[in-house]
Formats: sequence, C-alpha cells, structure tokens
Amino acid sequence: MVFAVQRFPKPEFETGYLQPGTLLPSPRAEILAAMDVAILVLALSVISWIVLKKRSRKGVFWMSLFSLIYFGFYREGCVCSIGSIQNITLALFDHTFILPLTVIAFFIIPLIFTLFFGRTFCAGVCPFGALQDLVAFRPQKLGSRLNAVLGMVPYIYLGLAILYAATGTDFIICRYDPFVGIFRFNASFGMFVFAGILLISGIFIARPYCRFLCPYGVLLNWVSRFSRRHITITPAECIQCRLCEDSCPYDAIDIPVTTKDPENRKIRVKKLIWISLLIPFLTFAGGWTGSRLHITLAGVNSKVRLAEEILTPAAGQGQPESLGLTAYKSSGKAAEEVYSEASEILDRFYNGGWILGGFIGLVFGWVIAERMLSKWHTDYIPNKGACYSCARCVDFCPVKTDLSEIKHEKT
Amino acid sequence: MPTRREFLNTLVRGSILAGLGLLSGALIFRKGKERECGFDFNCKNCPRSNDCLLPRPLESRQMVWQLDPSRCIQCGRCATDCVLTPSAVKCVHVYAMCGYCDLCGGYFKPGTKVLDTAAENQLCPTNAIKRKFVEDPFFEYTIDEPLCIGCGKCVKGCSAFGNGSLQLQVRHDRCVNCNQCSIARNCPSGAFSRVPASNPTLLRGFDQKQTTTNIKQ
Amino acid sequence: MKKPDSPDPTIKLLRQIAFVSALFAVVLCILILVNWLQLHRADPLNSPAVKTMIDRLGSDPDNAQLREQVRTLDLLSRKAYFTSQWQIRTGGYLLLISVLIIAICLKTIEYFHKKLPDLPEIKNNTYWIDRKINRRWVGYTGGAVVLVTLVFAFLSHNELENMLGNAVSRGTDTISGKNASKNIPLSTSGKAGSVPDSLLTLATGDSISSDTLLDGYPTWTEIIRNFPSFRGPGGNGIVYQKNIPVSWNGKSGKNVIWKSGIPLPGYNSPVVWNNRVFLSGANETRREVYCFDAKTGKILWTARADKITGSPAKAPTVNKETGQAAPTMTTDGRRVYAIFANGDLIALDFHGNRIWAKNLGSPANHYGHSSSLMMFRDMLIVQYDQRGSANVMALAGKTGDVVWKTARNVKVSWSSPVVAFTGKKTELLLAAEPYVASYNAGNGKELWKMDCISGEVGPSVAYADGVVFSVNDYSKLAAIQIGETPKLLWENSEYLSDVPSPVASGKYLFLVTSYGTAVCYDAKTGEKYWEHEFDNTTYASPIMAEGKVYIMDKTGTMHIVKADRTFSLVVESPLGEGSVCTPAMVDGRIYIRGDKNLYCIGK
Repeated sequence: MVFAVQRFPKPEFETGYLQPGTLLPSPRAEILAAMDVAILVLALSVISWIVLKKRSRKGVFWMSLFSLIYFGFYREGCVCSIGSIQNITLALFDHTFILPLTVIAFFIIPLIFTLFFGRTFCAGVCPFGALQDLVAFRPQKLGSRLNAVLGMVPYIYLGLAILYAATGTDFIICRYDPFVGIFRFNASFGMFVFAGILLISGIFIARPYCRFLCPYGVLLNWVSRFSRRHITITPAECIQCRLCEDSCPYDAIDIPVTTKDPENRKIRVKKLIWISLLIPFLTFAGGWTGSRLHITLAGVNSKVRLAEEILTPAAGQGQPESLGLTAYKSSGKAAEEVYSEASEILDRFYNGGWILGGFIGLVFGWVIAERMLSKWHTDYIPNKGACYSCARCVDFCPVKTDLSEIKHEKT
Repeated sequence: MPTRREFLNTLVRGSILAGLGLLSGALIFRKGKERECGFDFNCKNCPRSNDCLLPRPLESRQMVWQLDPSRCIQCGRCATDCVLTPSAVKCVHVYAMCGYCDLCGGYFKPGTKVLDTAAENQLCPTNAIKRKFVEDPFFEYTIDEPLCIGCGKCVKGCSAFGNGSLQLQVRHDRCVNCNQCSIARNCPSGAFSRVPASNPTLLRGFDQKQTTTNIKQ
Repeated sequence: MKKPDSPDPTIKLLRQIAFVSALFAVVLCILILVNWLQLHRADPLNSPAVKTMIDRLGSDPDNAQLREQVRTLDLLSRKAYFTSQWQIRTGGYLLLISVLIIAICLKTIEYFHKKLPDLPEIKNNTYWIDRKINRRWVGYTGGAVVLVTLVFAFLSHNELENMLGNAVSRGTDTISGKNASKNIPLSTSGKAGSVPDSLLTLATGDSISSDTLLDGYPTWTEIIRNFPSFRGPGGNGIVYQKNIPVSWNGKSGKNVIWKSGIPLPGYNSPVVWNNRVFLSGANETRREVYCFDAKTGKILWTARADKITGSPAKAPTVNKETGQAAPTMTTDGRRVYAIFANGDLIALDFHGNRIWAKNLGSPANHYGHSSSLMMFRDMLIVQYDQRGSANVMALAGKTGDVVWKTARNVKVSWSSPVVAFTGKKTELLLAAEPYVASYNAGNGKELWKMDCISGEVGPSVAYADGVVFSVNDYSKLAAIQIGETPKLLWENSEYLSDVPSPVASGKYLFLVTSYGTAVCYDAKTGEKYWEHEFDNTTYASPIMAEGKVYIMDKTGTMHIVKADRTFSLVVESPLGEGSVCTPAMVDGRIYIRGDKNLYCIGK
C-alpha cells in the first residue's frame, strides 16, 4: 500500500512524442435508468390490462417473454425489485448511503400496482418469475402440508436479508441470486448449480423460487391480499364445474368451503384464547432464540471477522495470515477502533437478532392462527395472496361471457 | 358482511398506500437536508473521509462501483471475484504520472536482467502490457484491455518501485453494476465503494480536466 | 385436437427435436463442467511448471533451450486460458439455444395438444382436517427452526463478545467511546450504559485505580467530539460538531449559560473533554490549572504547578502580551497537560492529581514561550523552538518520558503544532523561520520541509486536502502541496497575519490579519474571493464550524461569516468583555475565555 508519488520525474520528450490520454469509459447513461423505470411502469400497466381486462393467458405469456428478454437478458437483472429491499433497508439505517431514485422506483412501483391489481408484477414483469413460468411444463400438486411448511422459508429469508442489510453486512438476496448468472452468462459454479436445480425442479414444482424463497413475494403477498381488483377465474358467476380445480400450478386456488368446522363452538373459543396467548409467546420465544444466535449471525460481517482475527492470532502457525489482516496492518488503523466498531456491530446484531426472531415467531403464530379462522366461500377463487395472476385458470373456465356486459364480480 | 370486509380492505389499502408514499417520500427528500457539508470538503480527495461523520455530498443519485487505488493492496481478488470473467476491473495507466522508465516495475519481474519483451521477463500473466520505445531512455507502456484480467500484479510492481501510475479501476463499459458488487464484498481493504455515476473514477494523481479534453479529442 | 395415444406427425417431430436438444444440452453441460473443472484445478496463468522453469532460468540465464521452452509453455498456457474461457462462453450460448429449442417445442406441443382437463375426483372434504394437520406441521417446522438455531448458537464460540468487551475496555473506548454515549448522542452503542463512569462523576472513593482505566488514547471519532487542544482536534481550526451557537450577548446574558471568574490571568484558550473545561493561569509566582464543570461553570479543582524539580527560581521576563501562561493546554481524555513560560510541564489526571511534572529548561524566548501543547495518540507533543537549540519532542503521556526528540534548525517561534492525517500517515506540521516542516508524528522523523516563512512566526499552519498553508507578517502566505517532494502551490503577500492562524477547507482558505481584515482565497489557486475589514485588532484564531467561520476580535465581538466564496456576515455576537483567546466549540456550546471570565455559550 506504499504509494510513491513521482519517484521518477516526468520525462521531457524531445522527439515530439505526444502523451496519450487515459481513457475513461463512462457508465451507463442516467437517462437509460429513467427509461428502465418508464418501461417498468409501462410493462406493469400492460400486464395489468392483459390480466384484468383481456383475461388472456397468451398475452401474459408474451408479456413475460418480453420482460425476460428486457429486464433479464438485456438489463442483466440489476437492479431488481427483489434486491431493492436491501437498498431501501440500508438507506433507512445508514444515512450516508445514497439511494438512487430508480431503486426506490423499482421497490415502490410494483407494490403500488399490486395494491390495485394483484400480483401482476409476478405474472409478467419479474424476469425471475418469467423464466420459471416458462419451464413449468409438468407442474405437480405439492400438497397443502408441504406448501405450508416450505411457505415459511421466504419469511425467514426476508428477515435475514433485512438484518444483514440493516447492519451493512451484505446483500444476501443478491449474493444468493440464482438467475442473474443465467442472464449474464456468468456466475460462480455454485450459483449455476443452484439455478440448474431450481429450473429443473421448476419443471415439476412450478416457480420454486417465487413460492419458497422470494422475499419480495412476501411483501407482494401481504399487499395483494388488500388489492382493489384481482384476477377472477370466471368473468361471471361460478357454475361449480370444477374444471379449474387442478388448473393452478401454484396451488393458489381456494376450493369452496361449504362444510362446517366439525369441532363445536366451545372448543373453538378455547382454541381462539389459546392462540391469542400463543402469538405473543412465539414472538418472544423467537426473539430470544434469535438473540442467542447473534454472534453466529454477526460472524459474516467483515469488521467482526477482522476483530476476531486480530484477537485470536492464527492458530495454525504454518498458515499465511488472511488478506484482511494484511490490509488492516498496512492501513495503520488502531486495533481499539476495530474492536469498538466490531462490538458496536455485535450490539446491533444482538438487537437485530431479537427483532428478527420475534418477527419469525410472529409469522409462525399468525400462520397457525390463520389456519384456525374459518373462511366461507362457495366458489372457486384465486387466493389473493398467493396467486401470481398468470391467468392459466382463466383458460379452464368454460364461462366466456363478454366482459363489457358483466360487472366485475367480487366474492 | 361483504360490505364490512370491503370497507376494511379499503381502509388497509389506504394505509398501505399512505405508508408506501411516506416511505418513498422520506427516502427521496430526506437527503436534501443533510446534504450540505459544513466544511465544503471535497470528499473525493478528502484524507479524513474515512473518519468523517458527515454524509457524503449528493452529486448524483445514480451510483456505480469503483475502487480506490490508494486503499488497494493488490491482493488479486479483483481478478477472481468479479461476476464477470474476465473481471470488469482492469489496470488503467495514468500516463500523466508515468516516468516512462526503461526498467519498469510494473512490466518486468523483479530481478530481470535483460530488459526486453520476452515472456520470461514479463510480470503480466496475459501479456496485456505493451512496451513501446519512445526515445532514449523512455518507454511507453500501454494496457491491452481485452487481455487484462485485473490481477493487479503490475500495479503492485509499479507502486512498489515506480510512480504508481498503473492503478486498478472498475471499467464502466464492462461493469454490469451489480446491486452488491461481489468484489466489494470480498475486498480485504475495503477499497470498493459506490461513487456517483457523474464522477465515476477514483484514479490518483490524475487531472480530471485533462481527461475530459482527451475524451473530446 | 387429437387423442394423446395417436399424436399427429408434427407433434411427434417436435417431441423428437425436444429430445435431441435435451440430449445435446446434457452433453454441453458435461463439457462445460469438465472445462470449468480443468480451468480451476490447474490455473494456466499461475502454472507452477512455468514458474519453476523461470526460476531455473534465473540461475542459468544463458540456457537458450530452456528459455525457448519457457516461452512456448507461457504462450500455451495463455492460449489455454483464453481458449477455455471462449469455450465456456460459447458453450453457454449453445446451451441457452438448446434449452430455448426445448422450451419452444414443448410449448408448441402444449399449445396444439391441449387436452381437456380431467374432472378431478371429488375428494372427501378434508378441508378442516387438512388445516389441522397444516397447523401442526407449521408448528413442527417452527420447533425445528428453533432447535437448529439453538444448536448453532451453542456451537458458535460465544467468547468473542467477551473478548471484544475485554479488548475494548483494555483499550480506550470504555472511557469515552461507550460511557460518553450517555452524554453525547453521536455514539450509538447502547449496551454499556451501566459501566460506572468515574470520569463524569467525581468519584470520591477511589475504587478503580486510575491507571487501569485511563490507559490508551482516544480515537479520532472521540477526539472530534471534543475540543482537546488549541484550535480544536489536531490544532487545525476545524470543528466537526453541529449546533454551534451563533448568537449571544455577554452583557445582557442572552444565550450565556454561565460565566465564571478565572483566578489567575493567562492568554491560553480553553480545552474541553466531555463535561470538563480546562485552562491555566499564572503570574510571576504562581502557576495553576483549573478544571471547570461544563454544566455549571463551577471550578471543580485547582492544581498548582509548584515544587517541580529543575524549575527556575525566578519566572522569566516576558512580554506583557504573552504572559506567563500563553500555551494552551491539551488533553487525551485521560490526563490533561499544561506548560508555562518557565518551562514547567505538568500532567494531571481528571481529578486534579499530579501524574508527573518536569521542567524542560527555561526557554530562551524573548517574548515568552507560547507554543501550545498537542496530543498524538498517547504522546504529548511539545514544540520548543527556543534560541540556540530549537527542537520538537514527544513525551509519553503516562510517564513524561521522552519518546522521540528531533532537533530543528530554526529561529525562535511562537506558533503551535498541527497534527494532520494526510492520507497515509499522520504528519506533524510546524512553522518557524526559515521553513515549514513536517514530521512523522509517530517517530519524529522529518518528512519534508520548505523554505517559505521568515520573521518571528506566530501563526500556526492550516491543513486541508493535501495542502498546508503558512503565513507570517512581513513574510508571505504560502500554500504547499504536500507529498514526498512538496511544491509551492501559490503564494501571496497582500494580507499577512501576525498572530491569528489561518483556517482552510478543501476549497477555501480564510485568513484573518492581526489588524482585523478577513480574507478568503481559493485554496487551490490562491485567487482572492473577498476581503472584509472588521476594524478591530484580532488575536484569536478563526475557527470553522458548520460551514461558518468564527472570527473574534480583541473587544470580544464574534464575527460569524459564511465559509463561502462570497462574503456574507451571518451575525455578530458580543462577549461584553475583551478577549484574545481562541474559542472552544463542542456540540451546542462555545467556551470563550475573556480577559477575566470564562463564558459558556449555548442554550
């Protein structure tokens, strides 16, 4: 790191040699970033129109193909809405972090569209979703049990991503992003294997990343539950033909619930009380567990790692010292500073561990509680939270009434 | 029943919308207030910037990754850790700093006796540095960028024995600007940072005005 | 629509194409994998074979055959590297194309070969049972997650936190990093709030030995929260704090928190650490250090610098404008240090107990010694530019032993040291006729010097952004670009200062002359942006804070101007008492030593 400045004087050339300039290629023009946002809005508008007005599976397919090519292969994935969660989080916690406006746009706009039209973003704009949707040739039913259990993973992933972003440690969503390597034709070997596994299993388990990993999907799921409009299987009244029952590759159709809960009222009241105690308990238990884990979690942080390396000099004598240690030594930084930084980060992880664990506990509690509340509906309806608005079910519905005559039905 | 549910839905929807608006508003406009640097420090060359408690100036919102050569220890991870192969980090030659040495610390392996372009004398593993005679005793060194893999061996040599005119930089025509740079994640000296896209280089000893004229030419 | 058992020929063809593509894709995958493994198992660019051959060539330089071999092998390995990369890339494209073909075929088949959905069997309505089972399974999963987490937590070495805690308390941060967080909002650490703070509360029972607690030295982050020496952190005239008051009136008492009499006179300026304010005072017979409570202005203790070995019996004759206590004190948050005109140097702890004291020899100085003290890490830096044997030295803060001492071939000076971090190292910058010199603050080795100053140098230098500014009356104002070979960036002699030191940001240099003219220059080019006459003699050095420059004249009126390229007076605030001392500023407060009183300004 010793940088000499002008050890050798600049030569004076006599032969009229002209010194070449250093070429500095400039980054992608900002106007193109603005264009990306414009295309995002346009794509979302088109897909929402296709899903809600045209009700065309074919339209959704071509739109998703366009997004796959533009946002995927042309834009090479970055910045995407999924990853933007971390930028937003870091900006909230670190005031020196400068947040480009495009990142805010990529985070907020799909959420707003979802709030009004359901998860049309997943259907035809997200390149990850498009890629997986493309390979879903033989989707199998997973069964509600597996769905429920695997469905918990995104919450944990989201919590971890936020914790690591908030502590300024890493952007784990980007780090373990399986598909961006495909868009770039370039990734680490491990990521290619991960992507391969996801895509091959995606032939049978439709959209494995979206359903069982995607942290942005968690947010979209929550928001979509309150969406103003949402795709319906039938444009008119459900005729209970049951043709659509197995049409959804994502197990996102709620079949009619007509029978009553076999348990009697007394037991149900008891259960409700039990649950209202369970949720706070799970939240607390989760928080406590998370706080126990804070050192393990913080071990990823480079500053904590450096402090640990300084404190515990290399156990194996033969081993060369780590590059981080070399860099630290040549920086001339005081060890105390590294320690205090590291212990501050540990503190943050401790608090973060409580919050993360509490959040996960709360989600578990809520999911259990949700499965106790009765939902009465007589028709086949898409589950507003889980439905990706891919419009496959629409093709299965025999009712094709002209839309202009029928008012949008709500269940 | 449906009306009550609908009303509740509308209520929640409204509050989500308000929340999102508040969040984005806060994120967009918050910076405006904290932007001013009380000391008019030019952070780019500010020696205290590592200790500085103030937020960086907001020249541009679009950010790109760049590495600060003054913190770089030439560990070689730029060559191996970039998502691209070969890496988007390349050696950049700041001619304005170069001493045009015959015995170039960045070109020759230490201990080289015969100063010629033979393979056994070259430090560069891919023959990416071109050595050209200018006039006695000066030689011009040019980086052949498609061949450069960003290993930093020449940079190490030049900063150890020479003027430090060879420096590693993220080349923005190649960089795909990942949301989280995978080299930055593994950089042992923390040399990588996001810099404004309007001012995307962190070269040392380099007059920016000169560059712009060069580009215009 | 055809029945699935008798597919029409197109569909059959499509199926075959898809199958062949799939086969092709699998083969490609294997090829790419093999290629990748090869590339990673033996990196051709770092091939050990070439390396050993080159080593052999080094010991046997005339072996032409070996040289040829090296060259061939080198070329081959480079070719191998680039070819295999090309192969992987091309393979990737081919793979994409084949997958695309499969996808197109299958989609087309799907499109033409749509079968009517089978009516699913009517399942027994297992809805409620399913839900119950789901609940249970989610519960199990939660339990499993907790279990796995706890196992991980148990396996991970929990001693890291304790080790860090120990290391931190062994180091410096127990005192100011963590405990100070109670008072100073800048710190974010929250968990150490219960550690007893012997610094902030005057511990009467000495339960903790001050030696174990007060070890080490403050970090830069801590230093800039305080005002530990003359002209603030590093002695550079820049305050890194916010909420610095702008408006007050000493006469009416507006925004004056307290005002406290100073027993003995002195022209040294206050220094501040956490909630202590220190200054010294002296006359011919007595030399004292005062510690004020920053909250109330009460003098917490007075320490006398007497009975020091080697101290001259009679105080030196000094100029009236210099006095017996001109040098400003300094503190490292563990101890405070003071020096007097007779060469008495004293170190006290925060309770006023003497740690050590010594006499540096009565300085041969015809006006009286006035160079202020400075801290670097745990070293006390003393600039001792006396006639005949000028030198600069660093004393161990804990013991007073000389760590290093560097002789200086300069005349007597009255300026003070500046410690600046210049990118790679911390430089100690001193000015005296005939040169401005820089020393490695760690070992006292001279780094560079430049002949650009002459006369009886009073003003200290200013540093910003790689440029050092020096000035003296009847000499010149010089901007020195530092580096291994420093160069004179620009110079000017229109306005010169006799007493106040300049202050610089990256863009501007602000100079205040002793006769009260403030001037702003472009720091890089020397272009003069503005000048303004305040018409009063000014001895206090200007301080830059929050984008403003605080200039106080001898009548005690503070002129606050924008640190900008155009002149703009923010406000003028009178102290109501004359002052020649540089104000000390910390978060929300300014401390000014008037002729007789110490003022605390703030809200």
